[in-house]
Formats: sequence, structure tokens, C-alpha cells
Amino acid sequence: MVGPGQVMVSDVVAESVAVHGFWTRSRKSGLVYLIVGLFAAVVFGLATKAGETATFTLSTKPGGAGLDLPARAFAIGFGLVCALTGAALLAGYFRRHFGATTAVAIVSFVLSFLCWQVAGNDLPLVGLAQQTLFLAVPLILGSLAGVLGERSGVINVAIEGQLLTGAFCGALFGSIAASAWVGLVAAAIGGGLIGAILAVLAIRYLVDQVVLGVVLNVFAMGVTGYLYDRFMQPNTQAYNNPPTFPAIHIPLLADIPVIGPVLFQNTIITYLAIVLVVVVSLALTKTRWGLRTRAVGEHPTAADTLGIRVRLVRYRNVIMGGLIAGIGGAALTVGSVGQFGKDMSNGRGFIALAALIFGRWSPTGALLGALLFGFADALQSNLSSLNSVVPSQFLTMLPYIATILAVAGLVGKVRAPAADGKPYVKS
Amino acid sequence: MKATATARWLLRKETVLRRVRGVRLVTVLAVGGLSLAVAAGCGKPPAKNASGGSGGGQYKACMVTDTGGIDDHSFNASAWQGMQDAKAADSSVVVQNTQSSSEQDYEPNLTKFVQAKCDLIVGVGGLMADAVTKVAKANPKQQFAIIDANVALSNVYSMQFNTAQPAFQAGYLAAGMSKTGKVATYGGLKIPPVTIYEDGFAEGVAYYNQQKHKSVKLLGWDEKSQKGVFANSFTDQNKGQSITKTFLSQGADIVLPVAGGTAQGTASTTAASNGKQSTIFVDFDGCVSASTYCKTFLTSVTKGIAGSVKDAVVAGQKGKPLTGSYIGDLKNKGVGLAPYHDWDSKVPGALKTEVTQIGADIESGKITVKSTAQPK
Repeated sequence: MVGPGQVMVSDVVAESVAVHGFWTRSRKSGLVYLIVGLFAAVVFGLATKAGETATFTLSTKPGGAGLDLPARAFAIGFGLVCALTGAALLAGYFRRHFGATTAVAIVSFVLSFLCWQVAGNDLPLVGLAQQTLFLAVPLILGSLAGVLGERSGVINVAIEGQLLTGAFCGALFGSIAASAWVGLVAAAIGGGLIGAILAVLAIRYLVDQVVLGVVLNVFAMGVTGYLYDRFMQPNTQAYNNPPTFPAIHIPLLADIPVIGPVLFQNTIITYLAIVLVVVVSLALTKTRWGLRTRAVGEHPTAADTLGIRVRLVRYRNVIMGGLIAGIGGAALTVGSVGQFGKDMSNGRGFIALAALIFGRWSPTGALLGALLFGFADALQSNLSSLNSVVPSQFLTMLPYIATILAVAGLVGKVRAPAADGKPYVKS
Repeated sequence: MKATATARWLLRKETVLRRVRGVRLVTVLAVGGLSLAVAAGCGKPPAKNASGGSGGGQYKACMVTDTGGIDDHSFNASAWQGMQDAKAADSSVVVQNTQSSSEQDYEPNLTKFVQAKCDLIVGVGGLMADAVTKVAKANPKQQFAIIDANVALSNVYSMQFNTAQPAFQAGYLAAGMSKTGKVATYGGLKIPPVTIYEDGFAEGVAYYNQQKHKSVKLLGWDEKSQKGVFANSFTDQNKGQSITKTFLSQGADIVLPVAGGTAQGTASTTAASNGKQSTIFVDFDGCVSASTYCKTFLTSVTKGIAGSVKDAVVAGQKGKPLTGSYIGDLKNKGVGLAPYHDWDSKVPGALKTEVTQIGADIESGKITVKSTAQPK
């Protein structure tokens, strides 16, 4: 028997050959990488002064051990690597390893850019990696919430609102109870509450899910903003002063150079995020719950015929997603700065949504997407403090440009779960 | 057959009705959310302030905020504080405010107060200069005041602050206190009221290097090219934290954030270092306005908006003409350096004396601050 997935894949391939002829997707991308790579080699190479070194510090101490690279040679070299992979794709090689080749091309382009920017200066790599992970945590949890909802067929545009509500509840209840743990639980419940409203209105009342998500974001902004102005702001000490989670040093592992400070000296929320990615990823593919979730998201009528309670599965997943996004919100308050600020989620929920699409609705993909956006964000603040020649406005755009490129260009053909966004009505 | 048809019809009707109810519920959520957002934006109900006009011996002072809103922990809050101080000082003063949620609101808000017959209308923020100029020209008999800008009209009183002077002192202090030989600064937006601090800070660090033959480095701002790090937000604390962590990983140990609420992210980061790193707050004395993090504030560069607004309102109430321009500087105590608070015992006596001396030298003109963002 041939599964529905296989049929689809071969259809796509047949179609792409028939329609595009010589200019297949990998050839088109190859051409782009070739041009971009040559551009990098020429422009970044020429812009770098000869004889300058770019230092990538590996030690946590500023000015400690690091890699000293001759900036110009490496800027040109990495540009050429990017161009070469492009040429190879254009010539028809590596078509089967399109993903890996693309990764090589992009990474070498970024490295070429960095050699130019860092020339005559030093870039703390460990600090950069630490920040990447730190900035990615709310995004990881947010897009994981999206994965849970959308794999069972409910679009969640309300991630932004869930993060915001989570951040607010975390700060408020964390302050009242003077405990970061209470804040964390309250944040999860806050996010879960928005998730529950989303679930009821989408599943029971069949409201258009995208519209609903936007409305819930407005609702969350309004409620938290109002409560912040009226209660938190006048009584900061009592209501907006939660304790924060300390960084937990995992014994032995935390002492490994480079990797240790990045991976094993984080707050509990960061560890939780990574554990949740692994758990959800395994559960989706290996457990009964996962099979049911996917069935409901792809073909609810079939699932129903087999006795799976479609709406129950959806309710459960959307609310669980809300709980997880709420924890992501806690990462913004009790997981980092403590105090809540108006609209502090600042669009992170939408970036999480982009990470979800970039990651093709899989938990590990969402993790990678979130890390990519975290990296763009961390890079932006690192570069702007090196007195980069690129205007700071453009550097600020980095995460968003990365989002657009990633979602519009890199993912190529993605397929959402077939029943995503379609309410299930028994007939 | 007929029975199933009826059942199907009923089911469809039920589905349609459910959708209608759903849309109704969503509308309630949307309207509720929006009206709460608006209610939050409109500040306190003006019940006790709005009464009375210019008659009856009352002096009505009205303030239009910038987009930061009345609770920005920064210049809007200071100005409102000044208004309330004036009210406390003189019972015939009534005050009221309206908040601008975007730059498009400036003109209508100012015009609204002209129509409400306010005796004095205070516009807060340099971005409002054009709107104040326009409305003041159209209403030559109405008294206006503006903060952080210079409007050369006879019915406008301009209040500006030369914060580059105390920032110069702060730069010298930071350079003297840095153990790592690196200090840092970043701004909320690249606008003169922000960069003026950064310029002064940069010059203070340079002056220290010149005097002591040291080479303390400043991260995040280059006065010559006017380029630096900006959070592009006056509210995002996590952004502030991320920028601060970048600076710390690059070796800085003292940070001057000129970014309103974003600065809280810097304070919370340096506060976690057990005294190895510190923050210099701006606008307010940090130990008063963000007292949670008092232990991490080396000092604060203060800007006496509240005091000068209060003076202006009280003078206006007494019938004195408000015109020309006021520039707060070290000499008239319109700006200054806050006490060291928790750091008092850690700053060496000699350094304290030097910082004070620099203040005196700036007042006497022995040291000139070069920042082009300074008010003239």
C-alpha cells in the first residue's frame, strides 16, 4: 500500500520537472547562491582592509583565547565557498542533498560577512551563542505551542497574546507570592486560559481561526495594558517585582569550555524548553496521542470514523499549547528581567509563528527556526556595538529580514497539516 | 427519508446559529480589548482636575504628553510631577493632561486645550516642536511652554537641558571606576535628547584618558561619526538586557543606558553581578525611580524637568510673562549628578573630588563640552 504522503511527494517531483524543465528549484537556488557568493567575495573582500585580523573569542573572558583570522582572505574565501556550492547546484550536483548544500552556502555567506564586520575587532562567540539561546527561548516555546495546535488542525495566531499574558501573570503572581515558581505556574495558566478561549471559539463556535487569533492578541494587549496601568504601575514593589530564576550550573558539564557556558548554565525555563521540544517531538511520532493528533490534523473525518474524538483531541492540544506558550511568556519576566512592561512581547509571538512555518510544523524544525531568529537578533546587538559601517537601522532589521527570507525563500514548498484551520463539523 | 432530511436541516441551522454566536463573542472580546487599551492609554479620569475654567481665580495648566505616555519613568513622568508639585505649592493651580498615542495626536491635543481655555499649555518632548510652533502661531494670545526644544515665538516658553555637562562628569567617573578598562552606553532612539547624554559621556571618558594617560574604551557610541547602539525602543526591557549582556561579554563593566524603560533591563543585568558591574541611570535618580535596583546604580545623571515645569507654572500663575528660553545646566542646577548612594563607600575620595572639580570647571568654562546636540 502507498501512503498518502508518498503519493504527494512523487506528484510534486513529477510536476516540478514537467513545469519548470531545466530551471528546477535547486538550479534556481544555485544561481542565487553563485551570485550572492561572488558578491560577498568581491564586496566584503574589498571592503576589508588588508592585514587586519578578525578575532573570534572563544573564552568567556573578554580578550581571552580565540581564533585570529586574517580577515580579508577569509572574507573572500567564504564568499567563494558560497559561490562554489551555488555553481555545483547549478551544474546539477548535490540535488539530493539540497538542504545540506543550502546550509553550507548560507553559513559561508554569513561567515564572509562576519569576517568583514569583525575585522580589526573581536567578536565574543560564547557570548553570542549564549544570547542566541536566551533570545530563542520564548520563540521556541511559542512555536511549540503552534506545533501542538496546528498539527491537530487549529491555527494559533494568538501566540503573541499567550506570551504577553504569560509574562504578565508570571510577574504579577510571582510578586504576590514572592516566588518565581508560582510565577511560572501562573504564567502557564494565563497562557492556557487564552488557549482555552481560542479552543472554545474555534472548535465549538467555528469562528475563523486567523481572525480569532488576531482578536485574542488585541484582547490580551488591552487587558494586560489596562491592569498594568491601573494596578502594577502605581504599586511596582507589591505587584511588579517578582524574584527571577537563577542560572543553574549543571555540575561537570558546565565546566566544559565553550559548550558548558552556552548549554549548561541556563535558567530552568531554558532547560524546560529543550526538554519539551524532545518530548513533543517523540510523542508526536511514537505515541498514541501523537498518532491521533496527526490523524485529526490531516483527515478528521477518517479519524472520527475510527472512533477518535476529534474535538476532544483538538481542545486538549490547543490548551496544552497555551500552557507552553505561557511558560514562554514567563521566560520574558521571571526567567530574565523580572518586571513586566507594557506590550513586552514585542512581536515575538509572530516571529514564533514564522519559526513554526520555517520548521515545517515539526518541533525540531521549530527549535532550529527559533534559534535562527535568536541568532539574527543576537548578532544585531553584537555588530552594532562594534561600530559597524552598516547603518544601525539596517542591523535592527536583521531578525525580520531573516524571517522574510526564511519563510519566503528557504522553506520552499511547505505543506501545512491538511485540515489546518478547518473546523470539524459532523455531518 | 423525510426524518433524516429534517434532522440534517436542524443540524445545519444549529451550525449556522453557533457561528453567529461565535462571531458575537469574538466581537465582545475585540471591543473589550480595544476599549481597555484605550482606557489604559487615557490615564486617570480627570474628574477632580477638569472642573473650572480660567475664571474664578483658578490657573489652569494643561500638559500634552509625548508618545511615551504619562508613566514612562522618564521625561513625561517628570513633567507631570512638576505640574502636580505646582498644584501642591499653590492651591489655585489646576492641572490636567492628555496623552498622545502617536505623533499625529500632537496638534489635535494642543488645539483641544486651546479650546478648553487653558492658561498654560505644556508640550512635552522635542518631537512636538513643529506642532507647538504651528498651534502657537495660530493662537498668539495663548501661552505655551515646551520641553526639550526651542520654539522662538513670544508666546512660547522653551525649556531645554544641557545634560551633556553632567554626562561628561559621569563619563569621567565611569572611566575612573572601570576595572576592565571598558565602559559602554546605548540609546533608545537616535534623537538629540538621547545622543546629548552619549556625547557628554564619551567626552568625559576621553578627558579621563587624556588626564591620566589611560586608554579606557567606550563601547556603543562614537561621537565623531555619531554612530552607536540603539534599542529602538523605550520600553523593551529584554532588548535592554540583551544589549547589556553583549557589552558585558565584550568586557565592559559600567553601562549608561539612555533608553527610558528599556534601561530596567540593564539594571537587572548588572544587579546580578554582585557589585562587579554597575549602571548609570539617566533623567531621574535611579535609587528613587527604580529603587529595586538601587545597589547597582553607580550614580544617575539627572535632568530637572519637574523643577523647571513647576517653576514655570507657578510663575505663570503669579502673572509673570513666560517667554524666551530656559536652559538647565550645572550652574543653575537644572541638571546634575545624583548622589552615589550604595556606591558612596566604593568610589575613592580622590575621584569624587575630581568629578566635583570637573563640574566646577565646566561651570566656569575651563572645560568646554563639545557635543553638537547641546541646546543653544
